[in-house]
Amino acid sequence: MKKTIKSIIRHLILSVLAIVWLIPIIWLFCTSFSAYPGINISKFFPEKWTLQNYRLLLFDTDTVAQFPNWFMNTLMIAVFTCIISSMFVLMVSYAISCMRFKMRKPFMNIAILLNLFPGFLAMIAVYFILKSLNMTNTRIGLILVYSGSSGLGYLVAKGFFDTISKSLREAASIEGASQLQIFTKIVLPISKPIIVYTVISAFLVPWMDFIFARIILNSGISSEQTVAIGLYRMLDKTLINSYFARFCAGGVIVSIPISVLFMFMQKFYVEGITGGSVKG
Amino acid sequence: MNKKLIALRDGFLRPGKSFIEGDIFVKLSALFMGAGYFRRKQFIKGLLITIFQLVVIFFAYTVAVPYLSKITTLGTVQRESVFNFETMKNEENDYDHSFKILLYGIICIVILTAAVIIYFTNLVRVRNLQLLAEKGKHINNIIEDIRAYKNDKFHMTLLFFPILGILLFTIIPLLVMISVAFTNYDQNHMPPTSLFTWVGVENFKNMFTNSVTISFGYAFKKVLGWTLVWAFFATFTNYIGGILLAMFINNRKTKFQKVWRMLFVVAIAVPQFVSLLLVRNFFADTGIVNTICSNIGLTHILQNIGLVSENITYIPFLTNPGWAKFMIILINMWVGIPYLMLIATGVLMNIPMDIRESARIDGANGFQEFTRITMPYMLFVTGPFLVTQFVGNINNFNVVYLLTQDVYVTLDQALANSRAKEIDLLISWLFRLTNEYYNYKMASVIGIMVFIICAIFTLIAFNSMIRGNKEENFQV
Repeated sequence: MKKTIKSIIRHLILSVLAIVWLIPIIWLFCTSFSAYPGINISKFFPEKWTLQNYRLLLFDTDTVAQFPNWFMNTLMIAVFTCIISSMFVLMVSYAISCMRFKMRKPFMNIAILLNLFPGFLAMIAVYFILKSLNMTNTRIGLILVYSGSSGLGYLVAKGFFDTISKSLREAASIEGASQLQIFTKIVLPISKPIIVYTVISAFLVPWMDFIFARIILNSGISSEQTVAIGLYRMLDKTLINSYFARFCAGGVIVSIPISVLFMFMQKFYVEGITGGSVKG
Repeated sequence: MNKKLIALRDGFLRPGKSFIEGDIFVKLSALFMGAGYFRRKQFIKGLLITIFQLVVIFFAYTVAVPYLSKITTLGTVQRESVFNFETMKNEENDYDHSFKILLYGIICIVILTAAVIIYFTNLVRVRNLQLLAEKGKHINNIIEDIRAYKNDKFHMTLLFFPILGILLFTIIPLLVMISVAFTNYDQNHMPPTSLFTWVGVENFKNMFTNSVTISFGYAFKKVLGWTLVWAFFATFTNYIGGILLAMFINNRKTKFQKVWRMLFVVAIAVPQFVSLLLVRNFFADTGIVNTICSNIGLTHILQNIGLVSENITYIPFLTNPGWAKFMIILINMWVGIPYLMLIATGVLMNIPMDIRESARIDGANGFQEFTRITMPYMLFVTGPFLVTQFVGNINNFNVVYLLTQDVYVTLDQALANSRAKEIDLLISWLFRLTNEYYNYKMASVIGIMVFIICAIFTLIAFNSMIRGNKEENFQV
């Protein structure tokens, strides 16, 4: 009897915590179906339910809300960022983990040092570099910003490559395989978890970032923006009362694919962070 | 002298030694970089390096010299519009653009440095070729040289583009912005309309000055204080909260563990700009939480005990300094605990079972097991991660920015004068200075300060961790 009560209390506490964590998400979901376009400040649930917000967002664009355009822009930026950064990250981490050369330690130290500088500081100068190349307000510019220095984020993948046994590579080398072949034909095929992690985390960056995108895409032309800045602008003081419900609908639409990818990625995330440090 | 220094010194002396000991072609290579290769019949290599030499010389004369000659002043000719009587139009003079001079100047310095390094290593390489030839050993032809990049030199192939990217998008920009901290680049000195120039360490002095006209010293102290308090609380509330939640969910008595974990992860899978902007409106002065609080009488109770001023009818969740700071840390727990829960779950599952069992056999209770085994193990495994979290929180921009931008207004005139707010972290202050006020010089100073602070914490943490290395305690 005492056990059942304890168990009920335990699950009750968890339920309360889960509700606290989910309230904003539930609110997001409900408000996206609200017939009232602004913020309903007196009731949690909408008074009238409708699909209007989704219809407006997807099929009826105006000067402020260009959701289909934003989505395509972000998708394109994300695909290219993902390809370039994943390649950079895997190349750097493999070189640092599996090869021994003179500049290895200096490179690692410089990487630590560079990561201590706040990211925006460089961004101001990057903006001017891109501007002198006429690449601000272009997707290419933003892709370069996201993927250019991605090689610095090699640590998690390096932790993974460290776990691959050295004898495997040595055996291949004795068989006459070149280093290039060892990398592409032997190590990469058995590194699926870390490839998935690297690819997804690179793909997610453009969907989540609103700072670099706002600095680089500063023309104010709505159709050129990404999902993050587009939605952010909907909550401007002047716009919020007519766009809040649509913001929520947009939030739901982008959150669904991102959540799915995130769920898929999270187990690799844990392995990456804990795995690397255990081996020291 | 320690080994590293000797290696470094030898590295510097080697080109000179190669030059002195080398034959006439090695010496000639100091003038024509390709000479040594032609002597050893490596014609393609010799041709390539000759072209490289010509390009560098051409670049130095046409680009580098003009920019570098102006870098000491950052330009002297201000932009003016002159009326041209021939074309009957206003025309601009050939003005100097200070930022371009600085930017291109630094790019030139980087390129020329690289060229000089290649020049000196070239001497060593040519000398090595000579030695190989004298010993009668095989000298690679061009195809064998290229093939080496798939094999012994494969790391160079792998690292070339990533390092080029880091150089262009991190190192050069950082060098430029560090230089800006020593100039007067701000809203009154904006190229192309006006020039800016070097001012030495004046900006650093201003950052610590507190006078009638300058309030940066006051603001810096306040912002730095809050940044450190924030980083401390943000790191540890999440860390402890995450571990407790993970232990609670992973307990054998908890049913449907996976479902619970999923529910918490859903909350962080939504992009922060969506969830945090939503939470900001949730807690707005006229938001739904305030409506509920005033309906159930909470606002009134808080007014009675003095936590909310009598003059307002709402709880200033994100508009009063004290409340906002409290809410920011609280909401950050909402953001961060699920992450830590995930990580802690992974680590907890890895605790060697026999350590736990032997503890239990020795009669340890749950609390002792937690403080003596679980926590030390967690700290050992996640120690480096904790340091990166702390540094990450010093630079954690999203939470503060998304929750308070456009909402929070400071009443402290001294803070407002230096464009800071009570709830600002150094990083959000930096962002506002550049993005809204174009005060690049002070922003760069703050950036350098952030770097110094992060570097100090990283050094201290890693040093103490290495000294207190307890690796063997947990290795089975």
